[in-house]
Parts: sequence; C-alpha cells; structure tokens
Amino acid sequence: MRLPERQLAVLEAASATDERTIDQIAAETGLKPETVTGAAFDLRDEDLLDVTETSVEAAEITDEGSAYVADGLPETRLHRAAADAGAADDPVSMGEVIGRADLAGPEVDIALANFPRKGFGTVDSGELTIDASVDPDDDPEATALAAIQNASDADDAGDGDVLTDVDDEVLDRLASRGLVELAERTTRSVTLTDAGVTALMEGVEVAETVAQVTPELLASGEWRDVEFTEYDVEADAPDVGGGRKHVLRRTADRVKDVLVGMGFQEMEGPHADSDFWINDCLFMPQDHPARTHWDRFALDVPPMDDIPKTLIDRVESAHREGYGDDGDGYHSPWSEAFAREVALRGHTTSLSMRYLSGYAGAELEPPQRYFSVEKVYRNDTLDPTHLLEFFQIEGWVMAEDLSVRDLMGTFEEFYRQFGITDVRFKPHYNPYTEPSFELFGKHPETGEEIEIGNSGIFREEVTGPLGVDCDVMAWGLALERLAMLTTGAEDIRDLHGTLADIEFLRNAEVSY
Amino acid sequence: MPVVDVDPDELRQLTGHTDKDDKTFKQDLFGLGLEFEGETDDGDLQFEFAPDRLDRLSVEGVARSLRYHYGDDRGVYVPDTNDPEWTIEVDESVPDERPYVTGAVIRGVDLDEAALESLIQLQEKLHATMGRGRAKGAIGIHDLAMVKGAPLKEGAERSITYRGVEPEGDTFVPLDANDELSPAAVLTDHGTGREYADLVEAYDRYPAIYDELGLFSFPPVINGRRTEVTTGSRELLVELTGTDQWTIDRMCAIVCYALSARGATIESVEVEYADGASAPEQYGSELVRPNLDIDEKSVTHDRIETLLGVEFEPEEVVDCFERSGLDATYTLDEEVTYEVEIPPYRVDVLHPLDLVDDVGRAYGFDNLAPRYPDIGTVGGRHERTRLEDAVRTSLVGLGFEDLLNFHMTSGVANYDRMNVEPGTDVLGGGEPVSITEPYSEEYTQLRTWALPSLLMLLEGNTHNTYPQDVSEIGFVAERDETENTNVAESRHVAGAVARRDASYEAAKGRLQSVCDDFRADLSTPPTDHPSFIDGRVAEVVIDGDSVGVVGEVHPAVLVEHDLEVPVAAFEFDLDALR
Repeated sequence: MRLPERQLAVLEAASATDERTIDQIAAETGLKPETVTGAAFDLRDEDLLDVTETSVEAAEITDEGSAYVADGLPETRLHRAAADAGAADDPVSMGEVIGRADLAGPEVDIALANFPRKGFGTVDSGELTIDASVDPDDDPEATALAAIQNASDADDAGDGDVLTDVDDEVLDRLASRGLVELAERTTRSVTLTDAGVTALMEGVEVAETVAQVTPELLASGEWRDVEFTEYDVEADAPDVGGGRKHVLRRTADRVKDVLVGMGFQEMEGPHADSDFWINDCLFMPQDHPARTHWDRFALDVPPMDDIPKTLIDRVESAHREGYGDDGDGYHSPWSEAFAREVALRGHTTSLSMRYLSGYAGAELEPPQRYFSVEKVYRNDTLDPTHLLEFFQIEGWVMAEDLSVRDLMGTFEEFYRQFGITDVRFKPHYNPYTEPSFELFGKHPETGEEIEIGNSGIFREEVTGPLGVDCDVMAWGLALERLAMLTTGAEDIRDLHGTLADIEFLRNAEVSY
Repeated sequence: MPVVDVDPDELRQLTGHTDKDDKTFKQDLFGLGLEFEGETDDGDLQFEFAPDRLDRLSVEGVARSLRYHYGDDRGVYVPDTNDPEWTIEVDESVPDERPYVTGAVIRGVDLDEAALESLIQLQEKLHATMGRGRAKGAIGIHDLAMVKGAPLKEGAERSITYRGVEPEGDTFVPLDANDELSPAAVLTDHGTGREYADLVEAYDRYPAIYDELGLFSFPPVINGRRTEVTTGSRELLVELTGTDQWTIDRMCAIVCYALSARGATIESVEVEYADGASAPEQYGSELVRPNLDIDEKSVTHDRIETLLGVEFEPEEVVDCFERSGLDATYTLDEEVTYEVEIPPYRVDVLHPLDLVDDVGRAYGFDNLAPRYPDIGTVGGRHERTRLEDAVRTSLVGLGFEDLLNFHMTSGVANYDRMNVEPGTDVLGGGEPVSITEPYSEEYTQLRTWALPSLLMLLEGNTHNTYPQDVSEIGFVAERDETENTNVAESRHVAGAVARRDASYEAAKGRLQSVCDDFRADLSTPPTDHPSFIDGRVAEVVIDGDSVGVVGEVHPAVLVEHDLEVPVAAFEFDLDALR
C-alpha cells in the first residue's frame, strides 16, 4: 500500500488501543493540527482509522482574570488591608482601607460587591468590619482562577483549556465576573482500525510528491498514487493582462441598449457634411454666431452639389419668409453657396435632418423613434471637460400630436435607466426647437445638480420644409458627460485621444 | 449666452417693489430663465440668459418682465410717440453695403450715473447680439442739444443727413480723442477705430452722419465728441444704421422702451431715402420712426392644448397671454382661435409656436405631469455599428486594448512621421481633407489612416508595462471628388503589437484570426510600404481585394516615436469583413 507522507505519519502515530487526540499526534509528528485532521479524515475514508469527536466545555482566562491571579482578587486585597487596619476588632473607615488596599477605579465596586457575598465581613455606613474566622486565601474562586492560569500557561494554543477538577458553579461565577470565557470545544481522537493495523503490519510506502498535473500523469493514471505539493494559496499571483473594450465604447453600448429597448432605430451618416444639413435645415440663421469660422471646422473641399433643389428652396423660404401663414423669417442674409459648403458636423442633428427629410432612405411615416451616438466636432478650448471631438447622443420621436408632457415622460424614462431620477426641465431657447428645455439631474453620488441634456420640439420652420407634417421631439447630450459620471474620470483627456494613459484604460472600472 | 448687469436698487425702483431683497429677485428671475452668475465689482448682479429675449439686455427690460410676472402689468404696452420735428435724410452717397438708417428723438430724460451706465450697457449688448458685432446694426446716441439742424422742408423743423464720405474726405473729433481725424485716420490711429476697422475698410465711401455744422458721427465705428451724452443731457437723438431695416428698427424699439421706462418721452423722426438711395423694399422711401407697431399672429386653442398636453378654458389662455405681456382675443367658432397682439420689443416671436411657449411659461411648465407616450416602434442597431462591434469583440478577445483616438490630426503626424508622402498609392497616402482655418498645428486635417494614432499612443505610454497590444476601429477620411460630399469616409481596423517578441508573424496571426472569424479569405502578397521594413510587409488582400497592409514597422518610424520595442501592425478597411 502507498500513502501520502503525511497520512502515513498520522497512521503510524495512531494506536489501536488508546484514543489519541489530534493535538497529541500533531505534537508527535510535527505536523500542523489542521493537516493532521485532514489526513485523519482521509484515512477514515479508507477505513484505516476511526475518528471520534467529543465535545467539552473549555475555559480561557481573560486579561482581567490574569491580572487578579498576579495581584489577588479585589475583595481579597480589601480583606487583607482591613485586617492590617485592625477591622477584626473595630469598624474602620472605608476610605482608609481602600487606599491601603491600593484599589482603583472599577476595582472598588468589585471589591465592595464580593466582600460581603463571600462572608469576608460587613460594610455599613462607610465603615468596614471583617469576620476574622474567614481565611481569604481559602477561596475556591481564587484557587480555580489560578488553576486555569496554570493550564493556559502550559498550552499556548490559546483555544481554551479543559478543567475537570473545577466545580461548574465556580466556573460559571468566574465567567459571569468576566474573568474567564467559556466555550464548547470539540476534541477529535483517533484509533487504528483492524484494517489500519493490518496495513501497518504489511508495510506502507510513501507516495511520490509532484508539483504539477501533467498530461502524462493523467494519461497513465499515476495521479491516483501521487501527492501534490502544497501551495501558499494566499500569495499574490502575477497580473494577467488582456484586452478590453474602450470605456467610452462601453458607455455608448449601454446607451444604445437602453435606446433600442425604448424602440429607437440607429441612424448613420457623414461626418463631413454640407452646412445645409448641419445648420440651414435646423433653422440656424446664416449670420448666427455659431456659424462663424470661429466655431466650425470648414473643410477645403468643393461645395456639395447633390442636394435636392426643392428642399433647398423650401429651407431658404423658411429662413427668408418664415413658415406658415403667420410665420416670419429671419432678417438675415441667406446664400445657397454657404449652404453647400462642407464642414465637420457640429452636432449629429444633421443625421436627424437627413432621416426626417427622407434623404437618408425611405420617407418616414409617423410614429418613428431614431437615435445615434456619434462623433461631433466643435472648436472649443481643450480642458478637462472639453474636447474638440466628442460623442453626442441624439434622439428623436416623430408622432402625431406630441406634447411637452410626452417629451418629459420619455426623457425621465431614459435618465432613470442611468440612476438619474428627479430630472428637472428648465425652459430654454434653441433656434430649432420650441418649446425648449435644458435638462438637469442630480449626480447619483455627489448629489450635485448638473446639466444632462438639451431638448425640445422641433419648430415648424424645421419640420415643415423637410416635408414632415407631424410633431418631432428631440434631445441631445454629450456621451462623455455621462461617462464621466459613471467612471469617475476627472480629465476627459485620460480617456479619449492619443494622450490617453493605457494604464487608465486597463484599469477602468467595468460598469453595466 | 448674453449676460445682463442689474443694479438691484434700480430694479427695486423700476419694478416698484422696494421691499424685495436681492435673494427674492434672484429666485424670481431664475423662474424667468435668468440665472444668477455673480456680482460685478460695483455690486451689480449679473444674470445669464438664453439669447431669445433681447429686450432683457438692460435693467429696464428685466424690470418690465418682473412686473408682468408679479401681475403688476398685464397685456401689451406701447409708449406714446409725439409728432416728428426732425428728419433723417438719406443721401444717395450712402455706401451700398450699409444702406439703412432709423432713429428717434427722446425728450425729458433724466440720466443719473446708473441710468447712463444702463443705457451704455444696453447699447453694447444689442451690438453684440442682434447687431452681430455692429455689422448688422449699430446704435449711436447723441446729446440733441449739441446737434444743429437747419429746417429743410415744411412740417419738419430740422434735419440731419446720413451719407457717404471719402475716407480722407472730412474730419471730426471722435470720442476719447482730442484731435480732428479723418474717418481713415480713425481706423488706424484710434483704439475703437482699430477694433471695428474690418467692418468698413473695404468700402469705397464710409458711412457718416452730418448736421448743419458737419460730420458728427462715423457709424458703426464711433460717435463724435461734440454730441457726447452726459448725465447733464436732457434730450437725445438716437440713430441706428445697418444692413437690415427690420433689425435696426427693432433694436431702436428696445432702446425706446428702456428710456420710456425711465419717464422719457419718445418723439418720432422722419426718415427720407433720396431717389438714388436704396430704400428698404418692404417700407418704401418715407418712413416714420421709431416703428412701435404691434404685430399680430393667430394660434388655435387645439394647438395649445395638444402641444402642452393640458386642457384649458379660453379665459385661462387669455390670462396666460396677458401675463406674458401680450393681448389676445378669441372667436368661438367651430374652432377657438386666438388673435394675439405682440409688442415690438418681442424680436423672438417668429411663429405662432412661440406664443404656445409663452402660454406654457405663464402656466408653468413645472405644473405639467410627465407621461410616457403610448407609441409603439421597433428599435434596432445600424448594420455598420453592429459589424464594428463584432470586429471589436474579436480584437479584444485576442488581447488588444481597444482605443479611441481623435479623427483630426496634423500632416506631420499623419504623413511625415510615418515616412509617407501625401498623394501616393499606399495605405495612408490619400489626399488630405484639410481644415480651412486651423486653430492649432496639431489639428489641421482628418486622418487618412489609423496606424499613426496607434503609434502616437504607444509613444505616450513608453513608461507603462509591456506588452502593449492596441487596436482601434476608427474613422478615416480622404479627399475624393467622386463622393457626394467630396470626402471619402471609411472605417479602418488597425492593430499594433508592441512587445519584445513582436514580429511579422505576431501581426499576421492576429489578422488571420479576425479574418477567420468573419469567414474572410485572406492572402498576403509581398509589397512595399514606406512605414514598414522591406521584405517584412504585405498587402492585406481579402476576398480578392487589396484593402490594407500588414508588417513590421520600420525602425526609423519607431525611433521617430521614441519606441524602444519592435512593433508589428496591420490596418485594413472594415468593409472587407462585410
């Protein structure tokens, strides 16, 4: 028979006639008690050992108890001091005796409570009398405490000591005084079975120890006879790298999931587009400050030719004369040449315009919901919260008779998915929506109120020329703003662009 | 967004609410959309607001809004105007680029320091907003007592003339100067002149206003010192010139309302365009100004109810209009329709929809209960982003750190540092789409390929642990006049392996794995590319089309990026995996 080394040691230390405790075997073999226990159970499973468990009460002395073993119990010290002061003959002042006994703080109360209980004497009107017939050294509590201390000194395992010669009543009293702690303790003992004796008689060899499971070991079946070396399973393991999706992409995915779940279809379209789609369709006057070269990235390519002429005419008319019987246009210059110039889009509302007009595909009939999470370009100052390029979440709903209440309900639902409740709608102004609202919400962690979007119902000067004769409500929001809330990033440049820190990306917390 | 400075004492006086403290005003104004931003050194309160209600660019307009809000005023108010005594003649010499003029005479003004400051603020803020930096409209305010006008025609006692002047054709003493300067000299020798020179310097003749004594104002640049307004001024001449008659008329109306709120009397002026001058088409050649006419628009009860999602009694709607400073009457036909009167300072009302917004604000948008619309639609992702995501998942599974780089870059980063020439037939060698007026040397064009971004990221992370395997599926663009926008936009899949053992094999192995995932047939015939080592670079041919490049990055390119480890990389067009 072959057994792992530690099992063999335990088997050899066990006796067929005497019960031996785990602690005894551990002491004999030099193995850790938990290793012996494990081996004992393994041997029991092989029917080589019997394991019996007994449960006893164990007592462990407390720090306070230890102190009293050294100095004497407070009531004993009080008795001695009183005796020295002559209290056996006449009552003596309590203050004097307490000073002489060197009792301090809670010890005074302890002494005064136990002194009369043990019949050491009486306490009356601030004076002490002792019963000279009592020998304070013949006190079962002090004796038991000293015995427990001795046992504890002899065994440094600190798991309590079994005392068979201490009276239970005395033990309970010591426990209630907080001088010892009592606990149930299981002791396991082993004896050799007949099979165990036989195996030892026949001779047991030590099994081989191996470091790693190998294909050969598995194939040959040798794994049955080997012992695996123990590891320090608490030791640090080397870091495992591995790729992960960019944290902003993950935030975008989450946004897309929510919007798809709310019935929105994704839009797609060019980054470089004509000013017509970017601004003119949005009823942004051509002399609007946001359309000056300071705010847009104009591109050095020829103007865009392919824009439906009828659409251009209708948009120009809305700018010049207004839309509808009572509409006024802007009193601003409007030139088709400017409308055809190509620039990087400042918002993805250019996609909304392409879809609403039918230019991006089929003519749309209400109801419709569309969204995009795509990049936009603005000439802002680069700082921790602003980039020249960022992702805009854009969404719109097209339906008959939409109201401001529908807008509020839709956006409340969207933000609730990100833990932002209590969305506040502040009336606002945009050239392309009326009514318009800035959306504010409380940061889920800091509680700070922050702007979380801009929304409104597209003006008829926007929808009319596009050929849409129902209502369209829309909103926009920077994805980075949402991501900074969910990742805790403080500088957006850590995330986005060639200055990004690869360690930051590797360690970004996963949110879902 | 515009900011208005408000003296709280003036606000108390102008609203008549002398008992209200600053805090109450701040709260009430927040409700009107004016957000408290801070205080000036003089203790004025600064409020920021969206640029629709430009009538709130002075304390007088803010006070008027508050009086409507508090219910002190209701309905439309129009100040009375007295008959004209002055005429503004428009001469045919007026520059074609700035043909229009309007104005008003203001009598009985009592300007203390605060009132004068407020008037100057209103003028400057109107210049910055409606006036588009004075290009579209500029306001000149003069002390009328210093203007001398000879009677020109019967009924009009006095006149001034708006005309053109040769750059060196005359002289005057401008504000903040002591010497006589020609208009041309103002543009070069005077601080304000230099600031606004670009508005007029291309003109053959400069705009000028003359009275009997000569040139006294050079719009839109600067007034003359002779007619400077002081706290002692009791009568004012307001003139506005610009490129659009409607715009300057409305700016003039806002100024007249502000002065009227301080107890001044408005007096009309006649504006007469001479035969050779270009009079505004919609108004003719003889105008009486200021134009304080009320505008009218109609809106149906049904539109108000559906847009706000609330049912109203017509009286409630009329009440909301009146509390907004509008007047409304309605007819109880089949459909209730409101005829709404709009005062001339409401430059933001372009459409009946704007009136619905006023009803909503007066009713209180906070009082509307949100509801989720009962509309069924089917959601879904676009095929392009689904493909992108699927490829990204493959790359991440191969251990690549997914990157997100800027689409804008510089020619140096995109070509020079990669050893690539623009306009060559290699990946990344496409013609650039350049930004016409770049603000920074680092962002002058769109990137034609993604690998330069990856190398720049590696360059910035040499202090971090290796291996650094990075990838990006990102936007690239090049000039292509066969495209509708003249820009060819596409997405490239790029991966770079930066590690001690990075080799051609390492890059190709990963490339192969991605292609296998999408059942794309990959072959890699040898090629040349200036960013890679000769003999260790191949074309990426997927399903028979050449769509990219794979290889070991050239040491010269590595050193250029301060890299001390080998890098193997691939880049190809995402569409090849479709």
